[in-house]
Amino acid sequence: MADDHWRALMMAAQTGDAAAYRRLLVEVGSWLQSYYSRRLPPSMVEDASQEVLLSLHAKRHTYDPAKPFGPWLAAIARYKWIDRLRAMKDSATEELPEEIPVRDPGEALHSARSLEALLERIKPAQANAIRLVKLEGLSIKEAAERLDQTIALVKVNIHRGLRQLSELAQEESHEA
Amino acid sequence: MKLDSLIDQLAGDLAPVRPRRFWVDASIMALVAVIELALLFAVGFAHLDMHRMMTQPTMGWRIVSLGVISLVSGFLAVRSFDPAYSTRGALRWLALIIAICLASGIVMAGLPTGAASLMQRLDWRSGVQCASKIVLLSIPPLLALAVLGRRGAPTDMRRTPLLIGLAAAAWGAFVFIFACPFNDPLYIVVWYGVGCGIVTLACRFLLPRFARW
Repeated sequence: MADDHWRALMMAAQTGDAAAYRRLLVEVGSWLQSYYSRRLPPSMVEDASQEVLLSLHAKRHTYDPAKPFGPWLAAIARYKWIDRLRAMKDSATEELPEEIPVRDPGEALHSARSLEALLERIKPAQANAIRLVKLEGLSIKEAAERLDQTIALVKVNIHRGLRQLSELAQEESHEA
Repeated sequence: MKLDSLIDQLAGDLAPVRPRRFWVDASIMALVAVIELALLFAVGFAHLDMHRMMTQPTMGWRIVSLGVISLVSGFLAVRSFDPAYSTRGALRWLALIIAICLASGIVMAGLPTGAASLMQRLDWRSGVQCASKIVLLSIPPLLALAVLGRRGAPTDMRRTPLLIGLAAAAWGAFVFIFACPFNDPLYIVVWYGVGCGIVTLACRFLLPRFARW
């Protein structure tokens, strides 16, 4: 993250310099794609990056030019990441489509590693349910058969597991 | 929409903005609080026997405790509207301040001698009224903090609403000191605690639904 460079661009953007702003958004957009590719499934990376750019635009007045730009941007990116995890929790009972578009196997690998690190910190029953339904795309019923659990229990495990993941992510973000 | 076309759109929509300043928000908050207090004094809200009340030892304890809690929590709430600011460490100090204030009140109160004495000292009918007035008096600072929070970009949706609730509740209780006829520290710890607790918990659990951005 080129902090001084981005800080200068953001200061110019706050005064209405559209060219500096466009340059900043292009560079930040690319950084965000890299940031989310390590934290989210590939299908969510583009949406999450766009959402942060929209937030950056809406909240650009909250950036204090006297402070570094990196922590400000990283805080917004983390906040939106936690929101994504929370949204995954809210749609815990929705089935994923069988065909999940994967653009880059390298990105998928990074994302899987990052999620796996978080999944190892929650209860195994919850992690297994999330792996099968959210990551492998099995239906709740198929996951219940595979895990030898009732459908209701799988739903509960996914719901609680995703809530835990979101809390862990939030804790990490405020420790960082 | 692709990232490139979104960037084009956002760059096209760009308008100059004035960066948010902590001290401007803090001053707005202080102004709202002072106006609330001044208005209530102006309409005769204050206790008629204020001079005698001010000589009571519990008055100093109430003013200092609630003043410090509302000041510190209000300061932290406004700071937390900056996305990069973490209130985690400061909240521990705030919890310690609250514990010291409560403990000193309990020490001043002394233990009730029996259930009848306890019921008499707590006077639950008046207590419920006091708690509900504290809740009402918390509304103006609460609204002001919520509006400032919407203009800012808080990223901790657990601690920021808690701080907003605590600051508003402590200020509501601080204002109520000047109208409250009760001096028993036990009564104050319990019923002021109930009023402040209701506001703080309501904010902690309800505000995140409206504060997300």
